[in-house]
Amino acid sequence: MSKNKKIVIGLGLAAIAFVIMMFSTMPSAGSKEITIEDLSKNGSNYEGDYIMTQGLLNKESVKWDADKLELRFELYEEGEGTLQVFHKGIKPDNFSEDVIVLVEGFIQKDGVFEAEKVQTKCPTKYEGEDMENYDSEMHKEMYKNDKKE
Amino acid sequence: MYLIGNISIYLGIAISLYGIIANLTGLKKKSSKWLESARGAVLSLAFVSSISSFLLLYLLGTSQFQYKYVASYTNESLPMAYKLTAFWAGNAGSLLLWAFLLSIYAAMVVFSKEKKNPMMPYVSSILMVNILFFFTVMALNVNPFEMTDKIPADGKGLNPMLQNPGMILHPVTLYMGYVGLAVPFAFGIAALILKKMDSEWIKLTRRWTLLAWLFLTLGNVIGGWWAYLELGWGGYWAWDPVENASFLPWLTVSAFLHSVMIQERKNMLKTWNVSLIILSYILTLFGTFLVRSGVLTSVHAFGDSNLGTYFLVFMAFMMLFSLYVVMTRYGLIKKESSPIEAYFSKESTFLLNNLILVAAAFAVFWGTMYPLISETFTGTKVNVGAPYFNKVMAPILLVLIVLMGICPLIAWQKAVFEKFMKNILWPLAMGIATAILLFVFGVKGIYAIIGLSATSFMFGTHLLEFARGIGARRKATKENILKAAFKLTVKNQRRYGGYIVHIGIALIAVGVISSHSYSTEILKTVDAGNSIKIGEYTLKFNELTEHMKNGNGVVAADVDVTYKGKDIGKIKPEKIFYETWPEPSTEVAIKTNWSQDLYVVLSSWENKDKVTFMVKVNPFVSWIWMGGIIMVIGTAFALIGGRPASIRYQTNKFAGR
Repeated sequence: MSKNKKIVIGLGLAAIAFVIMMFSTMPSAGSKEITIEDLSKNGSNYEGDYIMTQGLLNKESVKWDADKLELRFELYEEGEGTLQVFHKGIKPDNFSEDVIVLVEGFIQKDGVFEAEKVQTKCPTKYEGEDMENYDSEMHKEMYKNDKKE
Repeated sequence: MYLIGNISIYLGIAISLYGIIANLTGLKKKSSKWLESARGAVLSLAFVSSISSFLLLYLLGTSQFQYKYVASYTNESLPMAYKLTAFWAGNAGSLLLWAFLLSIYAAMVVFSKEKKNPMMPYVSSILMVNILFFFTVMALNVNPFEMTDKIPADGKGLNPMLQNPGMILHPVTLYMGYVGLAVPFAFGIAALILKKMDSEWIKLTRRWTLLAWLFLTLGNVIGGWWAYLELGWGGYWAWDPVENASFLPWLTVSAFLHSVMIQERKNMLKTWNVSLIILSYILTLFGTFLVRSGVLTSVHAFGDSNLGTYFLVFMAFMMLFSLYVVMTRYGLIKKESSPIEAYFSKESTFLLNNLILVAAAFAVFWGTMYPLISETFTGTKVNVGAPYFNKVMAPILLVLIVLMGICPLIAWQKAVFEKFMKNILWPLAMGIATAILLFVFGVKGIYAIIGLSATSFMFGTHLLEFARGIGARRKATKENILKAAFKLTVKNQRRYGGYIVHIGIALIAVGVISSHSYSTEILKTVDAGNSIKIGEYTLKFNELTEHMKNGNGVVAADVDVTYKGKDIGKIKPEKIFYETWPEPSTEVAIKTNWSQDLYVVLSSWENKDKVTFMVKVNPFVSWIWMGGIIMVIGTAFALIGGRPASIRYQTNKFAGR
């Protein structure tokens, strides 16, 4: 066996070990993307899973306690269910609009979603917007398109 | 104007097509006239793309809102600098920038000293295929000179997040890096097509590759700096798909820069080098595809799914073409490569560093694509967050740093183990001393201590290398230290430039490890007159003020800061409300000293006297920017010096001389 072959075999083994390492860290570090409809119907199936979901903000439902830094709100999908969310942390900007909200965290036994991360999604962040016709309808439109992907 | 703009784009298509045909005809008929004409085509392309670019700049600068692009990214009140830099704020303009840079590069290559090189027709054809692609996309899909139906009174303005000096530089530097990689790629493929298995193409493109890598480094560092200042979450790197897209070619080119040294000296790794440069080039297209297609959720989303398809098709085409060329020449390359002579040699450590860098690239690629992969196979989209990347990349980068500490001390060909052990003693002592010191000072976190000690060991090696080189020189020449240091580095610019880059990386490593492990954060709502304590800082909140600036509403918090009981002045974290933008933008307030940043964000407020702050203390973040600058200096140093390709190749027989 030549030296080159030996080196290649040694390195091949290292590469395999590396791939195994990658696969083993994957599940613990990922978040499953689940729809609100699915969560509101079968929330208990996902207990203990780190989940990401998105929905439209019901702006009437926002309760923000500045002293405790606690944020409660409701997300909904039109005609497909709602989700109560609790977040310990900061209230994002423009949280009083009809924005799409992305949340990551765990669903609790009582069906409340405890979010570790809350992000608002505005229409295409880096593109110029048509502010004249900017309205929540567009958000909803976008949101539908998002779901089709 | 409208006509000139559109004509220039169609001319771009026509001329690049003509240039490719002229090259092929010239090669077939062995006619220097045709080849000469193709060269002219390249020059015309540079000219045409300059015209379109200057025209777009003019339209942006004079606020001609009848053009869609101008209306979408600028408005009357925007400062002139941002009006002009809106050139690359959107899809159409940034593609034009790409075409412009590419055609300028192509003209530089075609009219360089090597213009009679037999590889040149192939090189210029490959570059023109690229240029053709960009002009075609602009003509068919995103035309920068498209008109609006009715002229708006004012434009929509530029996203406030992009109104920052970092954002002027970040896209341009990254593009220059991306585009620059097309040149060594074209040479590599040309060499393969001609079955030239020597290292000529590597020697000819050394500077191009280094330059591209310099810009990639700069682009990534500036991007991190911008995110840190502008996004207000207190970090500089989030493993966002698009960040990863710019990091991937950086990793593969870093590998390439090392492995070509082995080919130059030892005639090894030929297939590997060609494959690496092909991969790096393909990754630039892949990165652009990711940004433009919106297949992955990202803060960088440009969101034009059509454009992604174009890039995907072009990428596939280039990939198949490169694969075909490599496959058909594979036997030849193999025949001309030399095997490795010893396990313990610089060659094998370089090979190892290459494998680690490529493994790192693979890990990043895997994590970036995993949501798509998981959805395809399981139906559930699994998003991979920063934890995965941190877990996988930390050990990989640690090994890389250790390797950087070992590698310079190992000789080429066959190193002697005893000698190596003697050399490594001091750096190793330095690493161990660092570990002990950190431990004694009560620093927690075993992984961070390991990382910092490894970095210190790596730094020690480079200090030793400099010291030994200077010492040896002084023995021989009796110069004083400064003169010896200067002469030594200037005489071996490639080598010491590389070492300077490594030292920059050491600084970045210190910054990344410390800020990742020892950042502290407080979220707190305070009433006027009350204070927040964090680390050795005390922040006293006085009041919330409102004022107008450049036609935008600014809400600022007035805060007094003391450090270790000493007053160090005021800070004013702000939120700015733009007329043209739905969400306010965050202006972070930062106080920096040599070892840490105080990072304050005004999060929200209930009323004038009750405000919520996010306050962070980030240790050693400024070292990251410093390290980036040192890396760029080192790269530039290696770029300017170093022997140019000394061998003049036979001029083309058909050149009619």
